[in-house]
Amino acid sequence: MSDADAALDTALDAALQSLVGGQGSAEVATEPVGASEVSAWCAVMSEANPLFVDEAVAASGPHGGIVAPPATLNMWTMPVRIGRGSVGRDTDQPQQAAYQLLDDAGFTGVVATNSDQAYEGHLRPGDIVSTRTTLTGVSPQKQTALGTGHFVTTEVAYANQHGDPVGTLTFRIFKFRPGTGRQRGDEPVDDSPRPERPRPRWNQDQAWHWEGLRQHELRIQRFTGSGRLVHPPVVADPTTHDMAYDWVVASGRGFLYSWTAPEHPKVPAFDYPLVVGLVELEEGVRVVSNIVGVRPDQLEIGMPLEVCWLDSHDDVTLHQFRPTRPDRRTDTLVRDDVSVGDRLPPCPIDITTELVMSGALATFDHQDVHHDSEAARAKGLPDIIMNILTSSGLAARWLGDWAGDRAVFRNLRIGLGASNHPGDTMTMAGSVTDVGEGGAITVAFVGANSLGNHIHGSAELVLPEPR
Amino acid sequence: MWTPARQTAVVGIGATEFSKDSGRTPMQLATEACLAACADAGLDPSSVDGMSLFSMERNHEIDVARNLGIPRLRFFSMVNHGGGGGCATVAMAAMAVHTGAADYVLAYRAFNERSWHRFGGGVQDHHQSPEANDVSFSWTSPFGLLTPAQWAGMFATRYMHQHGATSEDFGRITVADRRHAASNPAAFFHGRPITLEEHQASRIISDPLRLLDCCQESDGGVALLITGAERARGLDREPVWIAAAAQGIAEDQWMMRSYYRDDITGLPEMGVVAGQLWESSGLGPADIQTAMLYDHFTPLVLPQFEEFGFCAVGEAKDFIADGNIEIGGGLPVNTNGGQLGEAYIHGMNGIAEGVRQVRGTSVNQVDGAVNVLVTSGSGVPTSGLVLSGEGG
Repeated sequence: MSDADAALDTALDAALQSLVGGQGSAEVATEPVGASEVSAWCAVMSEANPLFVDEAVAASGPHGGIVAPPATLNMWTMPVRIGRGSVGRDTDQPQQAAYQLLDDAGFTGVVATNSDQAYEGHLRPGDIVSTRTTLTGVSPQKQTALGTGHFVTTEVAYANQHGDPVGTLTFRIFKFRPGTGRQRGDEPVDDSPRPERPRPRWNQDQAWHWEGLRQHELRIQRFTGSGRLVHPPVVADPTTHDMAYDWVVASGRGFLYSWTAPEHPKVPAFDYPLVVGLVELEEGVRVVSNIVGVRPDQLEIGMPLEVCWLDSHDDVTLHQFRPTRPDRRTDTLVRDDVSVGDRLPPCPIDITTELVMSGALATFDHQDVHHDSEAARAKGLPDIIMNILTSSGLAARWLGDWAGDRAVFRNLRIGLGASNHPGDTMTMAGSVTDVGEGGAITVAFVGANSLGNHIHGSAELVLPEPR
Repeated sequence: MWTPARQTAVVGIGATEFSKDSGRTPMQLATEACLAACADAGLDPSSVDGMSLFSMERNHEIDVARNLGIPRLRFFSMVNHGGGGGCATVAMAAMAVHTGAADYVLAYRAFNERSWHRFGGGVQDHHQSPEANDVSFSWTSPFGLLTPAQWAGMFATRYMHQHGATSEDFGRITVADRRHAASNPAAFFHGRPITLEEHQASRIISDPLRLLDCCQESDGGVALLITGAERARGLDREPVWIAAAAQGIAEDQWMMRSYYRDDITGLPEMGVVAGQLWESSGLGPADIQTAMLYDHFTPLVLPQFEEFGFCAVGEAKDFIADGNIEIGGGLPVNTNGGQLGEAYIHGMNGIAEGVRQVRGTSVNQVDGAVNVLVTSGSGVPTSGLVLSGEGG
């Protein structure tokens, strides 16, 4: 770095630090919290808690009426809802002034890294949300995988039209110079084609099974005389010696009977961690299959699984199994139901283009990287990425499915890692880390996709008194 | 009951050194081991007229016979299914000499399974035809279940879940074997005992199996000489009687992938063997002073105690606790160090150790050992032996 560059950096640091501690004027949403927006949000997140949408149920609920989902806290004052377009700058706000200084110095890249929501009250339809934002920190220049840049932390206080506080958000973003990340070119690139998995072989005694997999049917041999199901197939009913058989198409539902996770030797055709499970199908037979969307330390014998598919070769499709989306609890958990170490049922979430785009729009996040794949690629991303409010909403929905309608969120703290791109699957998994006084519990969780952990975080919930 | 008790005997044992790189061909190892077994018995090799092999043996009897100068070979057989066939070679030999099909039968295994083809690699490069045996791998290999350790891991997880066993319980097998190997100069791990902590610190191979749950790969050879009672008494060594020998395949049997049975925590094929051994020998678990149990993977040792009736189903973890399977315990196991500690010669070295225990010549001799149980491969079609001395 030249002396001149160093001097510029010192000047920038000084300018940024002079802004820290500053608080901007209040910003007020131009539109109230709306029931239809809540409904749209619930539809995107697959959130089925009636306390958010059903007046009759909510009236007798813990909040005495409909409330907005807590995870929506900061979406009501997104830029498009305070009259600033999608990314407009208002440099009277200290954080906006800091962003502008960084933009001007070439730190034009931006990713959100942390969103810690804490809830003090509830937003209800018709509420007008206002915010006061304090710039609480700008880090010295740091080198990360994305590039060199600065972490900028703000604290936002939310209030309703009566001035009652409803919550706070500690929000951290990383502003970086594009192109200064650790270049992949620095490492030797293995551009040899990925070897194929060992190819299954079959003959006429099993060909119908493999043909079925190509059509996304898991076919199980059935001897027509006895009705007996056999897997893997044989040529004769072991009891009657009848050789006439057809097949049934399995429902694709089962549970984990056993598993192993091969680590050594690593075979280039496979991704690691690799889980091979023995799945007992609800039809009563077992199949060996990969278990995907779940790490070895999240496996539990007996966990419900559902079939999914992998095109492993040009002409071969394999069945895979993944955790079944857990059923939504109908009775809310109470304090006595929960112990430290309890695991939440893992839940896979398919990341589709529709989910990423509709999630961004439902949370009023109009930034182009969430809906415009060309714009995303221009910013160095392989495709559009899920926005943090959607990730928060999906995490909250999964937590609520587990805890039940009447569990009250105190906070939701999220750190962001690997991006969620369309075509991937994010699997939520977590466990109870604390059980405190008055029914307050803490859950730590991760949402992992094929690139790593998309989100990691924790949530504090208050469970109702024992029945 | 296809071998009459105490009418046939092991009269000679021979072995090469056990290493990771023999520096010689498997054929030379086989020849050395067979010559050593004949020398041990005081028999001219040209008198051998039978050979009993088990599959994966690549030193075929015609080549070994050329090296030993055997003019006339009247009986030769190859038992299928690899490591499960070790004791079965003795059973075949016993049947042959008892029926008169042969007078002196050599059973052997010799290979460079470390320095040449590594056995632990499994079927990664398996060439598959549409024949049924190759097709059987289609249900596992495309999912990445390719090696014996991985096949064993699936059983281990279920056994732990169902019977409350832990990785430490598996580790106790290794600790016992390595303790015995430590005082056996012939063992690869001579002088190198391990602690349970070292077992727990060893890396995962296929969760829940750790490196120290998996036996080593070895170069070496072991040979055994079997003959009938009358001829046995005319040789140099006190006969070690074959009190019983048996094979076993159970319902819905696969090669280390019998995942479709109602219960996968037992070894019913070993149960088939156990029932025959006890019935034909007239002995039971209480009559056994020491056992050489096949130990390629520790989780598959535990159910052997259960199948043979040393303890109830699911209670092997309690049976092996507190050093019960170590020298000085109630049932010392694998006093040569087993395959985890001495060498992985597909269980043939365990049979040789059984012979030494009955002779009273083991480096880890069990007091009053007159009846010794020996087993072959677990999780595969298998076999077993009871070897007895004069007081047995």
